[in-house]
Amino acid sequence: MTVRESYQNRFDTLLQRLATGIEGLIREYLQDVPRIDRVGARAKSVDRFVAKSEKLTDGRPKYSDPLAQIQDQIGARIITFYLSDVAAVAKVVETYFRAVETKDLVPESEWEFGYFGRHYILFTPSDVIEPDMDRSQVPDFFELQIKTLFQHAWSEAEHDLGYKAGAVPLNADEKRRLAFTAAQSWGADRIFDELYLERFNGQVN
Amino acid sequence: MPITHIHTYLVHPAKGIEQPEPIGGSTLPLTGQMFRLLRDVYDRADNECDVAISFNHRPNGDQQNDCRDLLIAYARAPHLARGRHIAERLAACTDNRPRMGLLFLVVGSEGLEHKVIISRFPADSGILAEQDGGNLNVEFLERIFMKSAKSYKAVLYRHRSFDAGFWHGRAIDKQMNDTDVNVSGYWINDFLDSDFLTTSATGTRRLAIACRNAARKAETTALKSEIVAAVTLAGGQDRQRLTAREFVQRLRLSDGAARAILSEMKEHLANERFQFSAAEFGRHVTYRSVALDNGGIMTAATDEFDQVFASQVIDGDERIRRYTTEGRIVSEKLGKTTR
Repeated sequence: MTVRESYQNRFDTLLQRLATGIEGLIREYLQDVPRIDRVGARAKSVDRFVAKSEKLTDGRPKYSDPLAQIQDQIGARIITFYLSDVAAVAKVVETYFRAVETKDLVPESEWEFGYFGRHYILFTPSDVIEPDMDRSQVPDFFELQIKTLFQHAWSEAEHDLGYKAGAVPLNADEKRRLAFTAAQSWGADRIFDELYLERFNGQVN
Repeated sequence: MPITHIHTYLVHPAKGIEQPEPIGGSTLPLTGQMFRLLRDVYDRADNECDVAISFNHRPNGDQQNDCRDLLIAYARAPHLARGRHIAERLAACTDNRPRMGLLFLVVGSEGLEHKVIISRFPADSGILAEQDGGNLNVEFLERIFMKSAKSYKAVLYRHRSFDAGFWHGRAIDKQMNDTDVNVSGYWINDFLDSDFLTTSATGTRRLAIACRNAARKAETTALKSEIVAAVTLAGGQDRQRLTAREFVQRLRLSDGAARAILSEMKEHLANERFQFSAAEFGRHVTYRSVALDNGGIMTAATDEFDQVFASQVIDGDERIRRYTTEGRIVSEKLGKTTR
């Protein structure tokens, strides 16, 4: 069985159900947390999984056993209103899930305004595993990202413009303009959060 | 034959010791009585080790764990020298309370999966009695290592991928319910740098919601009262490491009440071990009771109370209220009062 066939089988029989379960579970955990714009979880598409499984590192396959090694076969997202809400959501996530990796994603240089957000690789919770599921096919992990509305909007648009399969690489001017939008988003996030804290928490200096 | 390698090491307490004793180790043959004992441990581990644990990530969030690295390095190439690194780690976590122990590393394969068992037999003392004709010779023996029912420890890891797997395993720790958490904590928390896969909040929340739903659905007042009583007593289990199934046993619930609670969760979740949190439990299941000076008492789940009992303030006095409710009578009970 090829990687595509194996993953297609897993996608059809398990991953979509698991993603639905994970989304529901996250919603339950967050039901008392305010200012959540949306919660979503979905299984990585077969084409995207296969493309990732074929990636090379130094000319050699990056993954020797992609079905076991690729950890974002299910990806979940929580979108919050303000930056302060990310921390509140993160606290809930860390209370109810076991993480194998946690990261605050920030650009490598302070002169860049790319991708921001909080990222987790979490163990697949046993709550979402049904008795009829083949446990040997249940991925050990899923990926979770927590972002603000602006972080989410920017990364979605940037991905659509710059990383679609077959897209021509961005030129310098296009990159500069994308960086401008990132800086605008970064600034908007900061101002919204300051306004929120100022108006409702009285914590801004 | 699934077992491919067995190594054993004598592990002295070395916690806080600058120059610990060298650790002696040996490769065991895959035949004989010793092998049969360990093969039994290996074969039974899949059923016996029932506590799901997972390695902790690094404090900075990176996907790395020193103990897992040692485990994988050994499992990839099971040599005596590589296994000794695991024994040294155990020694560094061992003080005089768990004392000396004999560590066994057993490696094998099951189908496509690699399987590793780490087990520790504690040291004990005993008396050897030998009859020599009409005489009986007795001798005090130290360094007897037993698969003691009280303090035997083991952990099982199995996965098809060394690169991606071996992040979670299943443990058995006969001291896990010891009130001195430090005694059992050194095995899972210190040596394995791991924790329960089911977080305290997750396990407690599941149990609380199961209790709440079971109480709501109870068809008799007696059953509802029993579950509500269990809820009020649950705080006494704070910080205890237990499963939902053990919870209902500890509170000595009737079969009906236990079944009602456990049926509110998936069967496999009832056996997951976690650290009970009274605070988390209270967040999900509380009952509000209002007593009136006319002898009336009303009780309902806190989050439902205002829907179950509508209230109206009388004559502007907040303390004087008229409560109304409507529903089908499912049971009625007469009992002695304290008046």
